[in-house]
Parts: sequence; structure tokens; C-alpha cells
Amino acid sequence: MTADRTRTVAIVAALAVAVAAPFVLPTYLVTLLSLVFIAALLASSIDLLAGQGGLLSIGHAGIAASAAYAIAWGTTESLALPVQLGLALVVTLVVSAVYALTTMRTRGIVFLMITLALGIVVYGLALKLSTITGGQNGLTGIDRPEVLASSSAFYLLTVAAFVLAVVFRAVLARSSFGLVLRGIRESESRMSSLGYSVTRAKFLAVMLSGLLAGLAGVLIVWQAEFISPNVASFNRSAMAVVMVILGGTGTLLGPLIGAGVVVGTEHWLSSYVERWPTLLGLVFIAVVLFAPGGVVGAFSRWRHGAVRDRQHVEPGTRAALPSLLEDQGLAGGVDGRPSEPQ
Amino acid sequence: MDDRTRGKPGSWRLGVLGAITVLVVTACGGAATTSAPPASAAPPASEAPASAPASEAPASAGAGGTVTVGFISPTTGFVAALGTDMKRGWDLYWELNGNTAGGVTVETVYEDDAGDPEVALTKARRLVEEVGVDMTAGPILANTAYAVADYVGGQGVPSFHISGADDLTQRQFNPLVLRVGYTSSQSNFPAGKWAFDQGYKEAVTICPDYGFGWESCGGFVSGFTGAGGTIKEQIWHPLGTQDFGTYVTQAQAAAPDVVFIGSAGGPDAILFWESWTSFGMGETPLVGNCCFADQVLLRDQGEAANGIISFSYWTEGADSAEVQKFVEEYESRHGEIPSLYAAGSYLMAQVIAGALEATGGQVDGENFVKAAQGLTFDDSVYGPIAFDDTNNIVGGVNREHVEARDDGKYWNVVDETIPDVSQFWTYGKDAFLANPVFSRDFTSQ
Repeated sequence: MTADRTRTVAIVAALAVAVAAPFVLPTYLVTLLSLVFIAALLASSIDLLAGQGGLLSIGHAGIAASAAYAIAWGTTESLALPVQLGLALVVTLVVSAVYALTTMRTRGIVFLMITLALGIVVYGLALKLSTITGGQNGLTGIDRPEVLASSSAFYLLTVAAFVLAVVFRAVLARSSFGLVLRGIRESESRMSSLGYSVTRAKFLAVMLSGLLAGLAGVLIVWQAEFISPNVASFNRSAMAVVMVILGGTGTLLGPLIGAGVVVGTEHWLSSYVERWPTLLGLVFIAVVLFAPGGVVGAFSRWRHGAVRDRQHVEPGTRAALPSLLEDQGLAGGVDGRPSEPQ
Repeated sequence: MDDRTRGKPGSWRLGVLGAITVLVVTACGGAATTSAPPASAAPPASEAPASAPASEAPASAGAGGTVTVGFISPTTGFVAALGTDMKRGWDLYWELNGNTAGGVTVETVYEDDAGDPEVALTKARRLVEEVGVDMTAGPILANTAYAVADYVGGQGVPSFHISGADDLTQRQFNPLVLRVGYTSSQSNFPAGKWAFDQGYKEAVTICPDYGFGWESCGGFVSGFTGAGGTIKEQIWHPLGTQDFGTYVTQAQAAAPDVVFIGSAGGPDAILFWESWTSFGMGETPLVGNCCFADQVLLRDQGEAANGIISFSYWTEGADSAEVQKFVEEYESRHGEIPSLYAAGSYLMAQVIAGALEATGGQVDGENFVKAAQGLTFDDSVYGPIAFDDTNNIVGGVNREHVEARDDGKYWNVVDETIPDVSQFWTYGKDAFLANPVFSRDFTSQ
């Protein structure tokens, strides 16, 4: 089909541009792009829950920070790289399990509040366990592995990690587990009366999402070669959610676009515009008001026009924010549709 | 949903969204998406801060040339007030003294780090890699300063700091880093000794529970116990505490001879002082650190703060020509008495200008920092100062108290100056550095 072919060509072209970027761009921009891809990876981990399961987490920076601190601590203790990575994996799994176990019976606002609280707990620990974390001052001199020392090599790793996350989410969305998650998003009670274990599915979803967040954490500390509790701050988690909503909840590339806008504003535009937080806020409000499906949602709506062929719509192009509110009976549905009967 | 009936409003919305997105994406240039045209991200000249020179030679200048300084301070975020004061102090120096020194023109590129170490790092990277600055100045928060010093130093570029973070010039000493200021503990050693000399035998300390607080209390506790005093209790409160009632009653219950408060300033200082006085503790002897009884507290509390004793290297009411000139010029422009942060940045500019004079405008990594480190000032906004061999100020610490100026504004005046206080106090560098940096568990050298 031509549509498929166009898509393949677009994907290959985009990948080619992404891979070629470090060879033409100055190193500073390459560094900035690595930041975008890492932020997009963290946003993807949130979107895995939000887009598929309608579970919005504002504490995911806590999982990423745990993995990042594992690497940082491993480096200061001069552990071998595989040991460091193993440690980061174990820490990620343990912390994700805590997130999963405490949230697997909740949804909507309660899920959001528990993840918020857990994120703040991780932040507090990073601040207090100063013998391991360096406290508020953080740890300097965490050099990344030799092979990744150059900014372009590291950039390519961030691209690879993001592509991996996209493939992973695409496979997940098409799997039966993905369908179960979407079923839970639409109606939890229906899924449990059909015999699915909603709790188990949520546990697994949070663990999978935590793995992506942990990967982002490893890249975060390698990128900065420095770590401080700010990595776990509420602000980080909230910004990642902003990226998800800006880009389009439940879309594969939305997190990348959202990350581009947020990181671009915070790290780059702020050099030229003093009131950059205001600008970012205005953009966010505009997107929420005029394009609840985010940039990607608006784009695909425009592209598919009135036809709106279901096959062409990315799985789960629904906004998590409205569906989150819907769960609480607070909103009247998406796109002007009345709420489905629960 | 019937899309045909929604066609028009839909495209209107899309139009607005598109316009905003285009604005943002073009403004972000290559940063926004990978598919954006590469390297088309040259900033519009009119929006560029101060200057955006294309510098091919980051580590040299020479007579007639231009030296570019990357100035990083938090002008947004939760410590925006400090960053704004820093910028004002910095600008005031160049305004009063002209922006040439050692035959070269000094240009400043300003960056906002929002108080976040990762943003500070990206900004430092931009300054070094894209703008090609010859040196950096700032930022203020300890974690941002550590991050910036580590990276900028690693690139062979000199960086100047006013952050108090002890280890910047101690266990993490880097010959490319110079602190135009005091460590967080430095000015509190004499405070501890003085308190004991007043006849106070037992003390309670109250400090915020993070690096700055540990280091501030570490200075006082070391000085006080070193002289023979005992610490009855050390009270730690979270940064940003709203209600100091519990901490004040803990101090009250301990019934010490003297209380030391090592505040990070700002709202913490104000809220602490309100609790302290409302619990009737006004009569208990209290000694503050650099940042407790500064202008932020005095502007808010006025007469209620009259008489507070503290130890600092910056005293706005000091009887010094340099200080009074600075205060007068600053006040005439901004309508308020300058804070420690404005004074620190002003001095940082003065030191950089002095170093440029000394090298004839040559900025050459470690040699430039060496030139700055070799400077001495008979009088500065911090009084007579010199630098030690790990690039930190050795200078006077003032015992000061709050009183009303002739026009009714409250400020600190000097009671006594303890001269030549080193960051290692009386312990000696090697003995001091053999111990770990101050922490909640280690506050006495």
C-alpha cells in the first residue's frame, strides 16, 4: 500500500537525518539533541502508562533518578561497567516494584497522587543519604564509559535508546497485553468482570514503564557526568508529563516532539528570552485548549481529515488528561463525544 | 462525531496551534526536532543577550581584543532574587569602571540557570562550546557551582565563583577555579570562638539540613568546641520550613547560654525570626551567620530585627570608602541597600578586571587564574583581602549588629573585624583537609 510505503520512507529518512546530525551539527547542538532524546525516553515511559492504561504518573523522575544514582555510586566506587549496569537494573526493578505495588489497585487522581508522593520520597532520600548521594551538592566527575566519551557517540546511543523505546511500545500496543491495558483504560470493571486481573496488568505495566525510565536515568547521569537531587525533583516529573501532553498522549513520537519543545525552551530559548517559563506555559495552555490530542494528535487529525479511517489512527490516540478526568466522572468526554456508558 | 460540520472551527484551531508551534519550533531551531534543517539556529542578533561573538580562540585574547565572560546566575526559578542581585552587582562594576581592562574590552554573555544544575551545565556548555567564552563567572547555588566548575575546568577554561560550597576550593580544588568569596564555614569559626569568649559555655545550633547548613554549623561548632565550649543540641530543619515553632521550642527546652543560627536567608530567616520573637526568645543570646540578618530579613522585619548580632564578611554599613561608594551607587539605581550577592558579584568583576590588568589582557587558562589569585586588595567591598593557594579569599570577618541608619532603614554595622581569616581557620590546610567535608554527622574539626 502506498500509505505504508510513504511511512517507511519517512521513517528511514527521519532515522538517516537523526544519525547524520552529529556529523554536521556543532557539538553544543548535538549535546542539546541528546538531552531531547533522553527527555523523550523518560516521557515515553510515562506515556506507556498514560496512553495505554490511562494512568498518569507524576513521579517517574524518581525511578530514573534511582537508576542514575546507582550508576553514579558505582562509578565513584570504581565498579566495572557491567556491574554498574546490573546494579542500575536491580535498583530500577526494586523501585519500580515499590511504585507498582503501591499503585496497582488505584487509578485516576489516586494513582497520580501516590506516584507524586513516591517521587518526593526518592527526592528526599537523595537529599538525606548524603554519604552515598553527596546530598544537595551532588556528585561530580562521573565520567561515562570510554567508548561514549565523544558527544556524537553518546548522542547516537540516546537515539538508539529512544528508537528501542518506540519499537518496544509499538510491539506492546499490538500485543494482547496492550489490548488488556487499553481495555482497563476504557473500563476497569468491564475488564475484571471479563476475568482479567486488572491489578496484575497494572503491576506489569508499571514495571515495564519503570524499565524505560531506568534506562533514561542511566543516560541522564552519563549525559551530565554529574548528579544532584534535582534529577528526582517534582519539577522533572512534571516537565516529563508536560512533554507527553504537548506531544500527544498515546502516540509514539509525541514524547519526542514534546521533549523538543520543553528542552528547547528550558535549555536553549532561555538564553534569548528572559520570560521563557511564561512562554512555555502559554504553549502548554494553547495545546491543551486547541489540540487536546497534542501536536501529533492534531497532525494526524488534519492528515486523515474527515475520513478518519480507524486503521490509520495510531493505537490509542486519546488524550490521557480527559480520560483521567473521565475516570473520576469529571469530564464530558473527548472531542465533544459524550462519555461512553461505563 | 461529524467532521464536516466541525471543519471550519477545526482548521481555525489548527491555525492558531500551527502558528504557535511554528513560532516555538523555529525559535528552538535544531533543538526542537531532528528533522528541522540543521544548523539554521543562529539566534536573531536583536534578541541575543549583550553579545554573541563568534570566537575561534577560546583561551587567548591580547591587547586591543575582546574578552568574553559567560555570566551564569539564576534569574528565574526559586532563587531568582539572588540571581537578579548578582546581575546588578556585576553590571554596576563595569558601568562604574568602564568595560575595558588590561587593554581589552570585556563583554558579558548572560545565562539563566533557573537554579537547576543540569540547566547550568547546558548553559556552561553553550558558553564554552558555542559562544567560546574566555571564562565563566557564577552561578550561586552549591550544586550548580560544583557542576559548572567541574565541566568548565575540564575544558581548560577558568571559572570564577561566589558560591560558598566548601569543597570547591578544598577537596575538589582545581587550579582553574577561583572563589571570589568565603566558604560557608569560614566566617563562622570566629563566631564560635567569640561566643565562647563571651562566657557562653553551652550552645544550641539551628541550621538547614543540607550542605550549606552543615558547613555553616560546622564552622561555628568547630570554633566553639575548639575554644572549650560544649554543644547541647544541634537542631536541623528542612530548607523552606514554614513553621519554626517546633525548632524554637526545642532550643528553648535545651536552655543554652547561646544559640547559633546558620540560615540560608530569604523566607527561612524571616519565618525563623518571627517564631523566635513570638516565643519570647528575644532575650536569649543569638549569633547569626553571613546570610541570616542580611537585607532580605531587614527589609521585612525592620525594627524587630534591631540589634541582631551576626558574623559576615559583607557589612553594608561598614566604615569603608569602597563599601559606601558601592552602596550609594547601587541604592541610587535600584532603590535598595545591596545584598551579599550583589556585593559578591561586584567584587568578582573587580577581581577579573584586576587579573586582566595583570596579564595585559591575556587569558591563558591556569596562568590567568594564577594572576587573579596573586591579587591583593587593601580595601574592597569585603575589606582587605588576599587569596590562599587553593584560590579562596583570606580576609576579614566582621562581627556586626543591626541598627537604624539616619534615614530609618535598617542595616548592619561593624563592631569588630577579625583579620585574615582563612578557610582552614587555625587548623592548617593539611590537618583540615584530612577530615571529611562538614556533614550532618560531622560538624567539628
